Amino acid sequence: MKRMNVVLCVLLLLCVLLPIAAQGTKVSVGEVTLTMGSWRTDDVVQMNRLLAEYKKVAPNVTIKFQPTNPPDYNATLRLQLDSNTGPDLMYARSYAAGEELFKAGYFADCTDIPGLMQNFTASNLAPWQMDDGKMFAVPFAAVSHAVYYNKDIFRKEGLAIPQSWEDFLAVLRTLKSRGYTPLANGLADEWDILETFFLGMLPNFIGGADQRVRYESGELKLNDASFVAAYQAMADAAPYCPVGFESVTYNDSQVLFASQKAVMFVDGSWTAEVYKDAAFDWGLFAIPAPRGKKTAICFHPDMAITMNRATTHPDEARAFLAWLCTREGATMASENLPVGYFPMINFPITLTDVHANEFLALNSGKETDARFVWPALMDLYAPMNQAVIRVMKGQVTAKQAADSVAALF
Amino acid sequence: MKRSLRRQRMHLASHLILILWALVVIFPIWTLVINSFKSRLTIYENPFWIPTVWNFSNYSTVISDGDFLTYFKNSLQVVVFSLLAVVLLASLASYALARWRGRLSALIYYYFIAGMMLPIKIASIRLLEITRTLGLLNTIYSLPPIYIAMGLPVGIFILTTFIRQLPEELFEAALIDGATKGRIYSLVVLPLIRPAVASVAIYNLIPFWNDLWFPLIFINREDQKTLLLGVTRLFGQYQTDWSKVLAVLTLSAIPVLALYLAMSSQFIKGVTAGSVKG
Amino acid sequence: MQKKTNTLGSWLVYLLPALFIYTLFMAFPLIDSLRLSLYSGNVPQDRSFVGLGNFARLFGDERISVRYWGAFTNTWIFFIIHMVVQNGLGILFAVLLTAETMRGRHLYQTIIFIPTTFAVLVTGYLWKLMLNPVWSGDFFVSIGLPFLKYPWLGDTKTALPIVALVSCWQWMGIPTMMFVAALRNISIELLEASRLEGASGLQTFLHIKLPLIKPVVGIIGVLTFVNNFNAFDIVFAMENVNGAPEYSTDLIGTLFYRYGIAGQHPIGIPDAGLGAAIATITFFLLLLVVVPTLRSTQRGGGE
Repeated sequence: MKRMNVVLCVLLLLCVLLPIAAQGTKVSVGEVTLTMGSWRTDDVVQMNRLLAEYKKVAPNVTIKFQPTNPPDYNATLRLQLDSNTGPDLMYARSYAAGEELFKAGYFADCTDIPGLMQNFTASNLAPWQMDDGKMFAVPFAAVSHAVYYNKDIFRKEGLAIPQSWEDFLAVLRTLKSRGYTPLANGLADEWDILETFFLGMLPNFIGGADQRVRYESGELKLNDASFVAAYQAMADAAPYCPVGFESVTYNDSQVLFASQKAVMFVDGSWTAEVYKDAAFDWGLFAIPAPRGKKTAICFHPDMAITMNRATTHPDEARAFLAWLCTREGATMASENLPVGYFPMINFPITLTDVHANEFLALNSGKETDARFVWPALMDLYAPMNQAVIRVMKGQVTAKQAADSVAALF
Repeated sequence: MKRSLRRQRMHLASHLILILWALVVIFPIWTLVINSFKSRLTIYENPFWIPTVWNFSNYSTVISDGDFLTYFKNSLQVVVFSLLAVVLLASLASYALARWRGRLSALIYYYFIAGMMLPIKIASIRLLEITRTLGLLNTIYSLPPIYIAMGLPVGIFILTTFIRQLPEELFEAALIDGATKGRIYSLVVLPLIRPAVASVAIYNLIPFWNDLWFPLIFINREDQKTLLLGVTRLFGQYQTDWSKVLAVLTLSAIPVLALYLAMSSQFIKGVTAGSVKG
Repeated sequence: MQKKTNTLGSWLVYLLPALFIYTLFMAFPLIDSLRLSLYSGNVPQDRSFVGLGNFARLFGDERISVRYWGAFTNTWIFFIIHMVVQNGLGILFAVLLTAETMRGRHLYQTIIFIPTTFAVLVTGYLWKLMLNPVWSGDFFVSIGLPFLKYPWLGDTKTALPIVALVSCWQWMGIPTMMFVAALRNISIELLEASRLEGASGLQTFLHIKLPLIKPVVGIIGVLTFVNNFNAFDIVFAMENVNGAPEYSTDLIGTLFYRYGIAGQHPIGIPDAGLGAAIATITFFLLLLVVVPTLRSTQRGGGE
């Protein structure tokens, strides 16, 4: 009986002690270790290089990069922040997704970080700015969207870069008639067809930021002729996607393009690194606008870095963010950013990668804008995603697709 | 003569059906294993046949990656600790519930047994808050309490039934010798219920080891992830390289599979123990 | 026997640890989740009582209710497929495996049970790859089965049945083995008698075996029901938490995860009250189905 009681006491004690044991370890004095949360699991190598550079600037600060799977990032970040185990520094999504976390009190107010308000243009600050002007993060990088194409096959088939959407369809037709899979895009993961393809080409049909604002205010309707034409374009492109594109995942698409099974891939700039070692010559062109309209680029402010309001090392975290706002910090950052991420700071920064510059060159002389739903219409993300998928599967007409989204506005 | 012939023919049909299903079972496993020895691009050639060149680097990469072993260690700790705790707590409670007869005892028994039919997942939102309050969020310590609570109902069901069937004379003899309850538990009950304890442990092994839900909603720190949660991370990391993904999947399936193949009858007995009265 | 051994006090010390953990981490959160469904707000400090407001939104807000009823219907289809395929084949295999004179029974039994030892995630990822037309499509065409090159998981008509069948593949071992154990318990004399009466195999099964294993049929039915209303991993692995394509594989489990735990992509702010409301309905639905089923199939109960 005595022995039993001892065992039970130990057990109950364990239940009580577990939480205490779990509180984590404190770092020794002087040395400070900060953690950085991110949704970029692919960028560990590059980010570690950048953080090692920072170590030279601030020798007593070590920053550890701890990325999470992209689809789980927001959920897990919130989970960590709720449990006070959030990272000290973290990537912040633009617009509503980031604003929510600032409003919930997780992100620190970054407005007075030295250099922030001076070294970025207003339009580059806006995605991480609250209505009252407060900044909740330091802009870090933008991404672009374009058509990746296999130059070898284009050359072999005597094809030229299409200058209009109609030309683009003609190229697709030619390739298909010669036995190729013209486009690598699929629908299985859902987000990619919307974010890279539909929203990537939408400015071609509806125009840039000044037009977007008119849709947001309700002055223009989400089922006007321009929008219907955009959905129709998706329907027109669908037959040139892989056989069974309904269940082709984003990764499948990458593999199809990388293994030369598909000739083109409408995708974001962040994928450029994947084809670094490709055994063929590839290039990029802007998704072309229909005849009579100007080609515009979806150049999307994607990531910013912010700090945890509850961090135990606010000074060190703040110092890192301030460094990102300086010329040397920003230069160092963009040199170490993965290919396909573009600095947003005002200083002229030259990129070395061929394809990165190819992406930037697409911007010249064209209007650019963020992805359509991000700034104000995030509620329409899922309905628009479904509308695009349905119209590509031929379940609804372009008009019906546009109507179904407009009805929710 | 005629009947035996008929019986043979009946067995022929049985064999056909069972062989067919066995193929349905083995074919995907075959696919899993052989393709884990291919490489990123060769995996697209002859999907269901052996590789032309055997590539072992997937496994060495996955293992030397470091994280995989951390995940494995975390899972092992969580599962072993939870199983030991379930067995200990369930056997103590079952001893009491089996030997102490009365209305209250029956009530407590049914209170426990009700948990067999109620999935704990639907309490996740509240569990998230409790775990947060205890400061266990984002650590592997968040998992054992829930797994123990999950495992207790079946454990108590199996062990109480078993202890009730032990011969009364054993207890009477011990009591006459002046043994206390504690002595009876450790000297009489524990040694005798060993086969049932094995069933309890095995019954809970699969859901504990293979649980994705609670790690998914509780844990985000790399060094605290369990194997299954880690697999989703590696799935993301190697997403354009299916051969590595398959190596990860194979490695994660091996522990339970090996244990099962080594003691399949015990396993089947354990897993079905929750429903079939002994 | 001695009276003193029959008091709560003398046994409490044995019961307390189990009661403590079970109550704190199972009974209390379950019951308290029901209470949460009457509140709004994600964290305790900004929680406010909204009465049946969450339920009103769940069924009244058309954008939410269409998802709920979609997931509800899908879960029932998912359940029916399991009952028919998994449990139907399970009974068939069990009958075949309990034929005393057949060889190789142990081997078959071992094989049937293998997938059950896998994590759902492993099964899901594996089948997702095998069913991927980009991966296996050309092979199917080359062996003259071009109809197999099909986006099984991308077509709203086939996705749910396929996911359900993969789940059946995984769990087949459990009903099979439970039925085997139950059939073995039937006394040989009874079967012998029935054979002497000239009953056919099917007659024996229907009139003797089936009534005797009724309690196990009931338990397996209940387990299948409970597990299906809980299913999440298989859809998570094979499709995504949205129940792609077009919510056609959205189950109560994935819906609960999206609304109550993770929040919707791309914003990711959950709605705990709504999630708790979904959990509450599931809770009562389970009680409504499980209790009568067990009562009608289990005579005598626990003892």
